[in-house]
Amino acid sequence: MLSRAVRVAIVVAMLGLVVTLALAFRRDPHDIRTGTIGKPAPAFVADRLDGGGTLSLSDYTGKVVVVNFFASWCLPCTQENPALVRVYERYRGSDVVMLGVVYQESRDSALSYVKRMGINWSAVADDDGRVALSYGVFGPPETFFIGPDGVIAGRHIGPIDETTLITGIEALRREATR
Amino acid sequence: MKTRIVIAAAFLALAAALVLAARPHEPTADERVDRITAELRCPVCQGLSVKDSPSETARQMRDLVAERVREGKSDAEIEAEFRAAYGDWVLLSPPIASWSGLVWLAPLAAIAAGLLLATARVRGGAPINVAEPSAAQVAALRERVAREEAAEG
Repeated sequence: MLSRAVRVAIVVAMLGLVVTLALAFRRDPHDIRTGTIGKPAPAFVADRLDGGGTLSLSDYTGKVVVVNFFASWCLPCTQENPALVRVYERYRGSDVVMLGVVYQESRDSALSYVKRMGINWSAVADDDGRVALSYGVFGPPETFFIGPDGVIAGRHIGPIDETTLITGIEALRREATR
Repeated sequence: MKTRIVIAAAFLALAAALVLAARPHEPTADERVDRITAELRCPVCQGLSVKDSPSETARQMRDLVAERVREGKSDAEIEAEFRAAYGDWVLLSPPIASWSGLVWLAPLAAIAAGLLLATARVRGGAPINVAEPSAAQVAALRERVAREEAAEG
């Protein structure tokens, strides 16, 4: 027979496993907290896709910035695009800025996609993948929420919907007005 | 005499080759890139290092590592850059001084648990009771043995 202490230890270990699994399964796999969350957003200067010079993230300090990594070959990007378009129109001209970063695609192909999909916000090229690597992107689509303080507050992996976008943006706007 | 000289020369040459091979040398830039990328996990693959992966993401990561090596960054600085972006996950061997480093304790914990269990069983196990057979049982057994021996002839 096992001693009482050993039996208690086994029960405690199994309970710990159950609690850990229960907590892990409660987490939304799309909202992954990796190295960049809670840290200053990596700065970048990149060529605008429309050929209109360069764009620097630092130009948007003090605003809520939504950075979306996308590609035309990525089907979930096409699926999430209507939500992005609606949210862009909702916040157009406000303190909220949306930026698109092309992920592993030629500029011509990405530009054609941007025009076809009605993407009216600024989109930049990332030919060598440095912007994506600095943000720890696994693959498109991925969306990052950057607060007016320049810190990454959230990250969404996979296609994003309108509610998640608005919730993320409004949380940062509320924080900014506090 | 000649044979001995040849054998001695061969040993000397072997010793010199071993010393030269074991001599610490400054790794080349390519060797450093290979070493660092072999330790980085490819984000879009399953269990492949950046060095071994043929994916575009891995190629971009190798290019970035090569550039940082050219800039004179140390291995630790380059690894830190990728950890800042992807977390400790990006390292194929999790660092000991981190939460994910707890995984290194798992084998020790398993061994400790096994020892604890074995000790508990050895100490707590009930002794085997072997009761002395009664005189009637001994007599019956003897009779049976005699019967079987007789049957075998």
